[in-house]
Formats: sequence, C-alpha cells, structure tokens
Amino acid sequence: MTTIDRDASGPEDLQKLHNDLAEVWANPAGLKALTIVNHTTLGLRFMVTGMAFFLIGGILAMLIRTQIATPDQGFLTPEIYSQVTTMHGTVMMFLFAIPILEGLAIYMIPKMIGARDLVCPRLTALGYWCYLFGGIILSFSMVLEMAPDSGWFMYTPLSSSEYSPGLGSDFWLLGITFVEISALSAGVELVVSILRTRTQGMALNKMPLFAWYILAMALMIVVGFPPLILGSILLELERAVGMPFFDIAGGGDPVLWQHLFWLFGHPEVYIIFLPAAGIVSTLIPVFAGRPIVGYGWVVFAITVMGFISFGLWVHHMFTVGIPQLAQAFFSAASMLVAIPTGIQIFAWLATLWLGKPKMKLPMLWIVGFLVIFVCGGLTGVMLALVPFNWQVHDTHFVVAHMHYVLVGGMLFPLMAGLYYWLPLFSGRMPSETIGKWGFWLVFIGFNATFLIMHWTGLLGMPRRVYTYDTGLGWDIFNLLSSIGGFVMSAGFAMVLIDIALHFRYGKPAKTNPWNADTLEWANKLPPTPYNFVSLPTIETRHPLWEHPELPQEMEEGKHGLASADHGRREMWGTDPLTGKVREIIHVPSNSWWPLFAAMALAIVCISLLLRWYPLAGLGAAVAVVFLLRWSWENGVHPKAAPNANVTPGDPPLHSRTMDGPGVWAMTTAMIANGSFFLSYLFGWFYLWTISPEWRMPETSPLSLIALVIAGGALMGGAALMEKSVRGLRKQQERGLAFNFYGAALLGGIQFALILWVMVRANLAVTETSHDAILMVGLYYALLHSALGAVLSLLQGLRVGYRYVGLHAPFEPVVVAYFWRYNVVVFWILVVALAVLPRVIGG
Amino acid sequence: MKAIVQRLNLTHPGHFVGGLTLWSIWFVAIYGGLSVACAVVPPEPDQGAFNHINITLLLLSLVTAVLLAGLAWGCFQEAKQHKGRQHFNAFVSAWLYVFSALGVVFVAGPMVGLPPCL
Amino acid sequence: MRERYLYHVALLCIQRAVPQRVNRFMLTLLGTLTLGLTGCAGDLSILDPAGQAARDVVLIWWIMLTFATVVLIGVVALWLYTFKRKYQERTPQEERKIARRWIIGGGILLPVLSVTALLIFGVPTGKRMLPLPLSQPPEVIEVIGHQWWWEVRYPGAEGGEVITANQLIMPAGEPVDFHVTSADVIHSFWIPRLGGKIDMLPGRTNVIRLEADAPGVFGGQCAEFCGTQHANMEFYVEAVEREAYDAWLAERQEERLAERALANDDFAQARDEFASTCANCHSVAGLSASTIGPDLSDIGARYTLGAGTLPMEEGAIHYWLENHQTLKPSNKMPSHNYMDTATLESLGAWLETLTP
Repeated sequence: MTTIDRDASGPEDLQKLHNDLAEVWANPAGLKALTIVNHTTLGLRFMVTGMAFFLIGGILAMLIRTQIATPDQGFLTPEIYSQVTTMHGTVMMFLFAIPILEGLAIYMIPKMIGARDLVCPRLTALGYWCYLFGGIILSFSMVLEMAPDSGWFMYTPLSSSEYSPGLGSDFWLLGITFVEISALSAGVELVVSILRTRTQGMALNKMPLFAWYILAMALMIVVGFPPLILGSILLELERAVGMPFFDIAGGGDPVLWQHLFWLFGHPEVYIIFLPAAGIVSTLIPVFAGRPIVGYGWVVFAITVMGFISFGLWVHHMFTVGIPQLAQAFFSAASMLVAIPTGIQIFAWLATLWLGKPKMKLPMLWIVGFLVIFVCGGLTGVMLALVPFNWQVHDTHFVVAHMHYVLVGGMLFPLMAGLYYWLPLFSGRMPSETIGKWGFWLVFIGFNATFLIMHWTGLLGMPRRVYTYDTGLGWDIFNLLSSIGGFVMSAGFAMVLIDIALHFRYGKPAKTNPWNADTLEWANKLPPTPYNFVSLPTIETRHPLWEHPELPQEMEEGKHGLASADHGRREMWGTDPLTGKVREIIHVPSNSWWPLFAAMALAIVCISLLLRWYPLAGLGAAVAVVFLLRWSWENGVHPKAAPNANVTPGDPPLHSRTMDGPGVWAMTTAMIANGSFFLSYLFGWFYLWTISPEWRMPETSPLSLIALVIAGGALMGGAALMEKSVRGLRKQQERGLAFNFYGAALLGGIQFALILWVMVRANLAVTETSHDAILMVGLYYALLHSALGAVLSLLQGLRVGYRYVGLHAPFEPVVVAYFWRYNVVVFWILVVALAVLPRVIGG
Repeated sequence: MKAIVQRLNLTHPGHFVGGLTLWSIWFVAIYGGLSVACAVVPPEPDQGAFNHINITLLLLSLVTAVLLAGLAWGCFQEAKQHKGRQHFNAFVSAWLYVFSALGVVFVAGPMVGLPPCL
Repeated sequence: MRERYLYHVALLCIQRAVPQRVNRFMLTLLGTLTLGLTGCAGDLSILDPAGQAARDVVLIWWIMLTFATVVLIGVVALWLYTFKRKYQERTPQEERKIARRWIIGGGILLPVLSVTALLIFGVPTGKRMLPLPLSQPPEVIEVIGHQWWWEVRYPGAEGGEVITANQLIMPAGEPVDFHVTSADVIHSFWIPRLGGKIDMLPGRTNVIRLEADAPGVFGGQCAEFCGTQHANMEFYVEAVEREAYDAWLAERQEERLAERALANDDFAQARDEFASTCANCHSVAGLSASTIGPDLSDIGARYTLGAGTLPMEEGAIHYWLENHQTLKPSNKMPSHNYMDTATLESLGAWLETLTP
C-alpha cells in the first residue's frame, strides 16, 4: 500500500498549519453560530437537546406514576392522563432515544475513523434544525393541552378524525414526520461517512466495532423509518382530506396502520439498542485492558440483528387475529434474536474473563446494563411465545418488559458512554463518588419500579388505565412502583448535578485518560473543529495501544492532509473495503441554507396543522427554492470548494472523480426511498387482498397508453443522462448541456402525461380507499418526474457556469442514479397499479 | 461448481448481507404467500397441517435452506484459502449463511404442526 | 422401538400429565405458600386460572420464570466473578479456545436449546386453543365493543336471540366460542382467568374459544387502549351449569322482558319519561329498540353500572344518572342536569325493577 503522508517541517510551518486549519474550520460566533455545520458542535447540540427532552419525558413519567400510585386517584383528569401517557412514550422514543444516539454517532464517528467531519455537513445541520423545530412543535401541543392522546402508536380508528377530532393526532403525525427527516438525514450521511471517509488503511475488518454498530443502525434507519413516514402521510391525509385508507366503510383497513407502524416500530427498538451495544463493545475492552474477544462474532451478531429485527413486527400484533401459523413464524423469528444477543453477552463476558477488568464508574453502568438488559431479554423471549403473549399483551407486564429492554438496553449504556467520553466533551474527569450514588439510586429505583410492575401485569392490570378499583390486589404494587420511580428520578437528578459540577470542579484530563485503543482519544481534550491536524494511516484495530505516540505525531502534522492553505475542508475519501485512499473529499463550509430550509419546513408543518393550505404550499415552494440553492452551492462552486478549479490532484479531489461520496449518498437515499415505495406497494396489495370492504372498479381508471408513453419519455431522459455520463467517462464534453436540457424536457413530458392520467381518472379519493391509494401512487410518480426534470435542468445550467464538465464530472453521475431509480420504480408502479388490476380484476 | 463459487466472489463483504437478504425474501414470501393463499384458496379446517398450503410452503423453505447451506459451504471453502481481510469476510459470511439456513428451518418448523388459516 | 416408546411417553407426559396434575400441584403449592402472602388471586389475575387455556399459560409462565431466573443469576454471577478472579497469562491458543467455548456454548447453544424447547412446548399449547371444528358445535356468544361498554348477543338461545349489555353468562364445563367485533374503535376482549385476549376490530369478527372449569364469577376488561374511558370498560362473566344457562336465556326472551317492564303501574310516569328521552339511545324490551347505548331490559339484575364503574345496589342507578359524568368523565351519555331529582329518582327506581 502506498502511504500518502506529507510532512510539515519546522515549527513556523507547524504554527501556520494550525492557524490555517483553525481558520478554514472555524465555528463562527454570535448569530452566525446558527450557520455551523461542524459535526462536533452539532453532535453536542443533538445530545443537549435530547437531554432536555429526556427531562420533559421524565416529568411526564412522574405524573403517570403519581396518578396510578393509589386506586381511584383524581390527580389528573382522564383526558390529561391520556395525553401524558401518549406524550411520555412519544417524547422518550422519538425526541430522546433516537436523536441522542444519533447525536452521539454524529459526534463520535468521524473522530473514531480518523475523519475531520461527516461527509454531508449541511445535512447534519438540516437534521438538527428539523429535530429541534419538530420537537418544539410537538411539545408545544402540551402547553395548549391539545397533545396527542391515542397512545404513542396512534392506532386507528381511535386516532382518526371521528374519534380524535382535536388537533392532537395532527400534532403527532406532522411533528413526528418532521423529526424523522432528521433521523433519515443522519442515517444517510452516517452510512456514507463510515463507508467512504475512514482514514487511510482502515479496512472494513479493522474498523472499530462502534462504527459497525452505527453502520447497522444507520442502515436500519434508512430502511426502517420510511414505512412510518408513509403511514403518517396516509393517516394525515385521511384526517385532513378524508381519504379512507384506514376506514372500513371506505374500503380501508385499520390493521394496515398497525403493520406500517410496527414495520417501523420493531426495527426502531434495535435502532436504539445497537448504538448502545456499540458503547458496551467499546468500553469493555478498554476497562478489561485487552481487545474484544470474537470481533468477527460480534460483527456477525450485529448483522443478524439488523436483519432479523425487520422480521418481527407482527409480534406486537399477536392478538389482532392473524392466523396462528403466521403468528408462529413471527414467534420463532423473535426467538432467533436470542442468538445474536447471547453471542454479544458472552463475547463481552469472555473479554472480561481473559482481561483484567477494573470497576470504574462507566463500568458500573455497564454492569447495571447487563443485569437489566438480560432480564428484559429473557422476558422478551417469554413474550415471543404466542399463548403467553395472548395473556400478558397490553398489560403492565409488557410495560415492564419494554422499560427493561429500553432503559437497560439504551439508557444505562448511554450513561456509561457519557461518563466515559466526558473528558472529550469537557476536558475534565468525572467524580467517582457522586456518580456512584447516582448510579445506585437509578439502579435500585428502576428495579423497584419495573420488577414489581411485571407482577402487577400478571395480576391483570392493563396498560394505559388512568384509574383502577381497589381490591384487585394491585394497590401495594403500584404504590411501590411509584416510590421506585421517584427514587430513580432522584438518581438522575444526582447524575445531572454530578455532570454539571464536573465542568467546574473535575480534574483536568490527561491525554487518553482511560488508556483506550480507539482514535477519538487522539483528539485534543476538548477537540478542535477539524479534529486532527493530520490524518494517520491506520492498519490495526487498536491504533492507540499499538502506537501510543500517535496523538503527538498527528498533532505535529506528521501524517496525511496536513495543509489547509487552499481554504478547503479536506479529508480522505477511501475505498470502502480496503481503506486505500481514492480521493480527497472536500466538504462544504458553514451555511444558512439548512436553517432556512428547516424554517420553511416548520412553516409548512404549522400551516398544515392549522389547515392553512395556501400558506403550506407557499412554505413548501420556499423550502424547495432554499434546497435547490443549497444544491447549487455544491461541488466546485467557490462557496463549497475554494480553488477547486486550479488544484491538481493525486489523489484527485472528489469533485474530479466519478465515484465520490455524493453517488453513495444518492444510493443510500434511494434505499430509503425504495423502502418508502415498497411500503406503499405493501399498502396497495394489502388493501387489495385483505381489506374487508375493498371495492375495485371493473375497469382501471388509469390510462395505460398514456402511462406507457410517460414511461417512454422517462426512459429517454434516463438514456440521455447515461449518455452524458458515458461521454464524461471517455473525456468527451460535447453536447453535455444539450443532453441535460433534453432530459429535463423529457422529464417534463412525463410529468405532464402523469398529470393528464391523474386528471382524466377522475378519482373519488374520499369515497373509496382504492381511488385514494391510487392517487398517492400517482403523486409519488409525479413528484419524482418533477424532481428528475429539475435536477437535470440545473445540471444544464451548471455546465454553463462551468461547475460541471470534464474538470468536474461528478454531479451528472449522481443525477443519473436518480433517473435510474425513477425508471425502475415507475415501471413497477405501472404494472402494480394499471396492469395487474386489468389482468386479475377486482 | 468451482466456476460458480468464483463468480460469486464469496470473499466480498457484500455476502454479509446475502444470506439474511435471502432469508428476508423467503420470510416475506411465506408470510405473504400464506396470507394470500388463505384469502384465495383456504383448505378445510379439519385437514389439519397436511394441506396444499403447508406443503408448498415447506417445499419452498426446503429449497431456500438448501441454497443457503450451499452458499455457507462455499464460503467456508473460500475462507480456508485466504488469510487476513478476505478470510475474515468469507468466514463471517459463512456463519451468516449457516445462521440464515438454520433460521429458515427454525421458522418453518411450526408448518409441520399448525393448520394454516385459523 | 424402545426409544420411540419412551419418546411417546415423554411427549404424553408433557402434553397431558403436566398441565393437569403437576400444574395443579405447583399452583396449590406456590399459590398458597409463597405467593398467597402477597396474593396471586384477584378478579383479573392471570395467575389464578379457572380454565384450561389460562392454566396452560400459567404453567408455561412458572417454568419460564424458573429457567430465566437461573440464566439471569448465572450470567450476572459470571460477569461479576471476572472482576474478582486473578488475572492469568495465557497463550493466544488458550485464549482462543476459552473464547470459543464461551461464545459457542453460552452465546449459541444456550439460546438455541432454550428457544427450541420453548417452541416445542409452546406451539402445541397454542394449537390447543385454536377454535378447531368440534363434533358438537360449541355455544356461540357474540360480543361487540363500544366506547366504553360491551354489547352481548346470544344468537343460539332457544326462542330467539337474546341481547344484553355489560354482563356475560356462559355455560361452565364446555367450550364456548366468543365471536367478537367492534362498533367503533379497536377494543380487546379479555377474561384473564379463562385465557388470552383477542382484539375487537371494526369490520372484522375474531373468534376465541374459552372454557370455564366450574361455575364461578370472573372479571373481564378491555385490554386495548380505546380512549379516555378505557379504564372503565369492564365486565363480569358468570359461568353457570348448562341448565341454569338455558334458564337464564329463557328468562330473557323479549316478550318476558317486555311483560316485566310494563307490569308495574306505579312507574307509568317513569316509563313515559324513559320513552321520551332515554329511548333515543337505549332499548328496553317492549318500549324501545334503539341500539346506540346499552340495552337496559334486565339492568336490575347486573352486577355493575357503567361497565364496571359502580357496583349495583339500591339507589345506585339514580346516583349514576345524577353523577355519571363525574364518575366516568366523557362517557357518551349526555349529562342529566336538566332533569329534576325526582324524575331521575323514579327512573332509577323503575330501572332497578327490571330483573327477569
């Protein structure tokens, strides 16, 4: 392997290097701090915001425990209680657990893999703003006493406009969808960053295990979130417009919502668990003073979990009345999860067994995790057994199980990680004493609350009841659970005090304070925005154990990419498998566009809530303009990459290659899009075959000929895009702009034809679910044709501005990928919506 | 046989997801197939577990399991011939194929005893 | 041959002997000795089964609990032990051997064997609960969930369908098929002491087969969150001997109920009041036939009011009519504060007489 290192010689050079880097990567202060796109800052913002929502969710939990501490309580009205339980689940799941772990990954991944930032920094910022605004909108519903109250999984028809006429469900559907934009953007860029920006030499099998976990989590977000986004859009359309997707009378089916929700909801549990397990796999080797045992086995377990968790969703629906054989499939698949879990638990055990483990504060939380999580896992296996599930489903037994898995499997490792990485955040060490008090209060309080709650559930107490009669044997157990809950809250208060105090009184940390093996500890404490002065070659899983001098050398600029006088934010782009350097990736700098786009989307969200549709349309148009402007300042645009046109390259800048990170990001985004599309197809076929009152017209209302011609136009456009890409590959630039304009025109024709089909079909979208879901499919095709046309048009313009051409052949490849996706999806759609009904009939 | 194994490039980490992708497709096929079959051609309830639906699903499962087992075998062969990164890739893939094959057998188990549409 | 014989015996033991004898023994032992102190019993307790399906589940639960406790303690003890034991230098080969032993033994074999055993045990249990065709068709009772009460229909009653609400009578000692559905949102039908729950979905009918061993009264509860008054959606099931069941149904034939409702002339005014207001939603045989609210034709004979909100006793109906929006806030019956106390009192008194 060739090593591409550049030495910075002499102390003046070194000082200049530091100054250059500091200038290029600077985080502006004041109002301009809102433009920051740096992963370190945004990761911290994510985590701090997540903590704030954790406190809100915790207060809601205390309200719940107060209300049901004793029978026949009047502390909360039934309406408020329903809002509180719904919001507790929603806040903890969507506004705390997922974002805070994303924040941790956003903060940690580039540092661990030897990069200077994530690969799409502006997307990080957009994700943060969407999360913040969505979270605020959703929480604001509580101030208005209009919070969603149909339970955090929003089962229809309870959440539909007939049985929840207020704005509560709308707050949930719109707010959550908004927040999910953030999860998806984090998912996409984490995948690409892990695959393409590891430092030189870091082959896939040398990657820190944490990166494996995050890779799996990010891919699961990409595949797992779209079903819920689709479900939310459909339910909001049903509520706002009256399209009867989930309404029996209109030919819909409420069980479809349950499928879409749990298709997301079950993987989500693992999306939360995997990063937390990643923390465990990172900490245990450090505190055992030896490498993890069975690295390959752990990778095996991660992969298995990532997949199997998508085959379990029906185990939340065992009482719905699905045939028992189908239930048995899901029951068996649920039990299979015990294997990868067992492998990890015993790989960790073996690591401790063969090492010299030390019980430091982070390890205490890890041991707490083990006790609670193993217990939750065991009750999970019990729940997977169908006959047992029929009894305890929807009782407090399930509530207890779920908290064991989520608090044990997520919160305890998170606390361990928080204490472990504190020196990185603050440059100071945590205190052992107050921290231990906090741990024991949380641990004892937690078990007092939830271990007892299993029993309450077995005595028959259903979940989500605001009151209960005395004499059912539940009184004493509920009281004990409530007391435990308050002990746990006291423990968290203590932890927060501890962490707050440590920022002032903690001992300053020395370099690599825990004697860890991974690269994030090669950072300064606290880190600079660019992380590393120079990027090392890493060919081992334990760089800091094998080369303790590495932090010092990196700081002295003795490794790769030690220059910034060109004004670009640069890092390595490497081969996903081998870690060989392929190109230098330059990432864009601070920008207002993410904030502006998120603000426009927030206006869309609020105006949809208030049913001010013209304003919503306007907001959407403004958001699109902002996003397109954002995409304009890309590639070799001087704002994104100063001096890119004049820089020679070996390795080349990524904008001069044809396989840069943008292609990977587009591919990953299309996986998410494909998951959305497959969920749609599932909905279509589900309603067609299962829905009890499904009505399909004798003849399909869609004009097949028009659709086929539209498909022809689409394929023509895609062919032109492919032709341009092939030309660029052969170093031919002629007719480039012409091809792009041609593709845009063909995309426009496709758009017009779909629009014509839509108008001519004269669909009664509020009458039958058939017409309603057909309309959604047509809109999907319509939006994609429009997007393809606009992107090609912009490419044509960029040729004129010299942002695209032989010297910068990168973007057309990305756009061509989108066209390819369009072709595949459009034909599947035509077959499913227009051909099959003609062949099979209603 | 050798040619097939070579063409499959079993040391590529893409095979990490190969077995479980097949498993997932199989899983969707049996769950979806069962639902559709019960809607379209349900057997008599007193036929028990021996009926056209269960037998078709069992055959499908058998074919999938054999395919996955074959791929696992191929990966083990490849793993023996390489060292370092490629050995790692083939070895992890091999176990993932083994898991997928056993996963098919395990999940298909209840087809032997349960009637399909009740 | 011998192995096969032993295998069959073992299987028989698991399927037959265990659920009945051992389980009864275990339940008596555990129930009375240890858990009797804190109380396993209760109207809604899963741990106090009164039917075969519920008993099968409790047996599985105790076995799983024992096994899970052993695993939990074992794993945690091993982890904690690693912090105490002395560090030993080992060669890489030795390390690899130990690591493989832990991962394959603990990480693969332990879960594989456990879940296989569980599935072999669990699937037949589930199968026994299936509503398979029987030589003698079981009694059918239809239950329809409403926000927040239960409509119950007995289509098999001799002399015509019997309709009632918030109370359930079933014959003991024989399987009963409950056909459940919903009139509005999703509810879930659950009698914990008899067996598992089944969701009540609008537009669909689900079937669950339950059996009560002996006559008795058991609690029932809506298990799927169905809105603000989900908590107050309860009912009582009374299992009675077959003859009593038939007699109970016969007493509730429409003409007999109507006779009863119209019999007492002291309440003519209350009846008029009922016919002009209450009858818009409620039905009383002989007077009205609206199905919006619960049928009241035999309300005096029920255990509770408001689907488990209030126990039925003298004066309870009047109390309920005056205060139902505070006792069960947001329930769908409009407040009666526009009616004077005397009217409500006479309405209550009349309704209390509606006992077959």
